[in-house]
Amino acid sequence: MNFELHEEQQAILEAIERLLAQHAGPARAIELNRQGQYDDELHRALDDAGFSTIATDLATADGPAGLEAALAVEAIARAGGVVASAAQMLVAPAIRELAIAGPIALCTMDNLAKPVPVRFGAHAKTLLVLGSGEVHIIPLTAGELEPVRSSFGYPMGRLAEANRFFDLSTAGECLGPQAVQAMTNWWRLALAVEAVGTMDAALQHTLAYVKQRRQFGRTIGSFQAIQHRLALCAIQVEASRWLAREAAYHGAQAEAVAAAAAFALHAADLVFTETHQMSGAIGFTCEFDLHVWSMRLLALRQELGGVSGARRALVEARWGKRA
Amino acid sequence: MEFDWSQDDIQHRRDIREFLQQELPANWEEMSQHGPGGDSQAAFSRTFCNRMAQKGWLTQHWPSAYGGRDCEPWRHSIVGEEMWSVGEPRGSQYMNVNWIGPAIMTYGSAAQKQLHLPKISAGQVLWCQGFSEPEAGSDLAALRTRAEKIDDHYVINGSKIWTSYCNHADYIFLLVRTDPQSNRHRGISVLLVPMDTPGIVVHEIPSVVGERYFHEVFFTDVTVPTGVLLGAEHNGWEVVNHALQFERIGAARYARAAVTLDKLAAVAAERGMLHDPIVVDRLGEARALCEAARVLVYKVIDIRAQDRPPTADTQLARVLSTTCDNAIGRLALEIFGPESLEYASFADTNFRMAMTAGVAVGATEVQLNLIASRFLDLPKD
Repeated sequence: MNFELHEEQQAILEAIERLLAQHAGPARAIELNRQGQYDDELHRALDDAGFSTIATDLATADGPAGLEAALAVEAIARAGGVVASAAQMLVAPAIRELAIAGPIALCTMDNLAKPVPVRFGAHAKTLLVLGSGEVHIIPLTAGELEPVRSSFGYPMGRLAEANRFFDLSTAGECLGPQAVQAMTNWWRLALAVEAVGTMDAALQHTLAYVKQRRQFGRTIGSFQAIQHRLALCAIQVEASRWLAREAAYHGAQAEAVAAAAAFALHAADLVFTETHQMSGAIGFTCEFDLHVWSMRLLALRQELGGVSGARRALVEARWGKRA
Repeated sequence: MEFDWSQDDIQHRRDIREFLQQELPANWEEMSQHGPGGDSQAAFSRTFCNRMAQKGWLTQHWPSAYGGRDCEPWRHSIVGEEMWSVGEPRGSQYMNVNWIGPAIMTYGSAAQKQLHLPKISAGQVLWCQGFSEPEAGSDLAALRTRAEKIDDHYVINGSKIWTSYCNHADYIFLLVRTDPQSNRHRGISVLLVPMDTPGIVVHEIPSVVGERYFHEVFFTDVTVPTGVLLGAEHNGWEVVNHALQFERIGAARYARAAVTLDKLAAVAAERGMLHDPIVVDRLGEARALCEAARVLVYKVIDIRAQDRPPTADTQLARVLSTTCDNAIGRLALEIFGPESLEYASFADTNFRMAMTAGVAVGATEVQLNLIASRFLDLPKD
């Protein structure tokens, strides 16, 4: 057991933070979100610097280097990067050894059937579709998923009307039940990790705000009514962080990732509510960065059954068939 | 950063479980229903801790100079988890090994170390903590119990309240005001007082928590030699803060809660309640909470293992650990329904043991204050 970053992990984190300082951040996220665009430049920079394949490159006999990839994804989420890094860095390596072309969008069969907005759907080169007994890896050529306008911080795409009868059986590669388990677990882990980075940034932003915003002759962060609620948020964020990192380290086992996602996605709602409440009216404006992270928290809660899906998975993993 | 237990640690956990199976009597469940302060559990703890001491496990995390084995704090945390999981057969002695012994090591005189540490590591002495007073609960620095120095003695007058375990204790780790002119944090001292000193009277305060849970301790002209002073005179606040850094996560509440939850899930399954999505949701929520509390406690143990100074991570872990304990205590009532209304039923016992969690050893609100100032650096104004 050691909760400190070792030298290599420290170097990875510093390198990605340098890259993100140059290519990402809330201002860039706001600009891209306004037009529903994907950050191709950041995506390329992450590819060129070798981060996209970090889990495979540092893999050991036990499997992909989940923790190192998770640390990178957490940092990208903190920086508000408009890239599908979680799918690329955490989910894809667990599904197929051979690299999968990015950007990658993740969805369930049900998401396509309805169809509903899918994160990064309109910009993805590959769609990973989770079915009940199989995973489909579908190369997207152009236009299968059309852009959908969304307030929730990510570019979204939905299966276009013309493709409603999209034939999955012939559209790409199909993998069996093992891939279903791998995709479910790593996707759930990815959600927890992204939630951690995103909550962290939203909370830090709010902390800075309450320390300088004055009302009633004092900074609002000096009121106990505010302090206790922020302390409760901090507890939720820290616990989410260490649950997610531990689950990543252990190779995204079903029970651990379900616990991490159940806790983090529940915490995400609290952090959304409290950071907005404490930021007041300015918190809803585009000029104030909070929405870059806060709105995303609610989007993350929509995937893979959200909080109740993760809790159900946790009960099944822990107490088996009885659930 | 890595999250593996060493092979030695994994084996140690197995050994402890095996030891518990051998040592716990058949009527242990009944015996432990009043918690670590109950009569039968207190009596049992003397035999049990002595057996642990013989195995070399009771104080294995202590330095070898004091009868320990220099083991990492991780090793001791395994012991804590396994003991709390079965209802803490060490009774109140978990406090001795967690923080009273270490406080004596840090601040004690040679004579105090010689007197107390061998008894603690042999598992044959019971302690209680004399902190809270009627006017000094969450605001501990408001304490008023006085110890007046007359020649080479202290004469103690005052009272303590909510004191657990004191009806069986041999010693009390007592916080007193030694400087009558002082207020708040200055002028407080720690005295290590034998409970059989004339002038000490203990009254039980009946409560809904369980038998022998709360007491009042009255001190009337209790005269003790100045040699019972721990650390420098008037410096007790530092001593107690040091001690509480260990105490606040000393009880592995999340481990006990996790075991209770496993039983609740089994009962829910037997009774066909897992068809109810709300029950499944509540069980999943509770399990995630146990895991979250565990991982935050591990973060604190890691800080200790690396010999770094305590941080506000202790408070984060403390709040989540007590939240978890409380939540699962209440969930037991929901799963068992009206059956839980019977005294000493499974749900009742677990609920009562959990219900004080957010109040004991520093109310949650005090922990949140500390998180706000030390972890979030929020202003006081």
